[in-house]
Amino acid sequence: MKEHLKTCLGNFFICVTLINVAILVLGCMLEPEVKFGYEVFVYPLIYGFLGTLPGLVMFSRKELTIGQTIVREVIQMFLVVAIIVGFMFGRYINVPGAAPKIIGVAISVVIIYILVTFFGWLIDLRTADKMTEELKNYQEKMSNMC
Amino acid sequence: MEITVKKIGETEKEYIEIGCHKHDEHVDEIVRFIKSREGILKGTKDDRQYSIALPDILYIEAVDERTFIYTEKDCFESGRRLYEFEEVLSGRNFMRISKSVVVNLMKINHIKPYLNGRFSCVLTNNEQVIISRKYVPDVREKLKGGSL
Repeated sequence: MKEHLKTCLGNFFICVTLINVAILVLGCMLEPEVKFGYEVFVYPLIYGFLGTLPGLVMFSRKELTIGQTIVREVIQMFLVVAIIVGFMFGRYINVPGAAPKIIGVAISVVIIYILVTFFGWLIDLRTADKMTEELKNYQEKMSNMC
Repeated sequence: MEITVKKIGETEKEYIEIGCHKHDEHVDEIVRFIKSREGILKGTKDDRQYSIALPDILYIEAVDERTFIYTEKDCFESGRRLYEFEEVLSGRNFMRISKSVVVNLMKINHIKPYLNGRFSCVLTNNEQVIISRKYVPDVREKLKGGSL
């Protein structure tokens, strides 16, 4: 569980960064004239937190197979979209003209989700390369000891 | 048969070389004996018991209350539990990497990322075994020369 929480925390910070970028891009495209106060800095943190919450779905005491992991990843992605869209547009879901914004946000969430997964994988790739290097050193050391 | 023992430098890797006309069962027997000096495990296959040299073992896996010892070409069953192997082999080049696997670190070719924060060990025979997230810090500690 501890390792899972560490991963969730890492994902939270990647999420917050990417949400900032998404707000900038979507804001410039959809409502470039809108001005914000300082409270706007809180939103990436809230959305980052909401987006990280479904990560708990991925926790399992058992070893998951590739299939189970992929199914859980997909469930997690839909949960993230539902939570973020529900939080942002819950009150305005039936307001005319809200659909393009909802679709825009949903697509952004999916893109962010994929990017978070990708960046997480890049970090793991770097760790794996380091471990391989450590492994080679270990094997050399042990071979010389024999 | 001539037996030669040659002294080599401290920095050089120690080796044993056998010069023979034919690679037959006598040569295999000598190889088995040399390998057994590094330790052996007992395993059964087709109701016959075998001695398996530690350097030949790729990994040991627990599946449904049964324990299997895997070598490059064979799979042997053992009556011992995985935690017993973990204890017995912890001083050797073996290490627990998940709830169900103890791997021979000398038989890992490289490590690559797997799904969901886990890592995959690609073994010398191209088989893959998973390192659980929980065991990653311990594996890194051991590879860095820790005493785990």
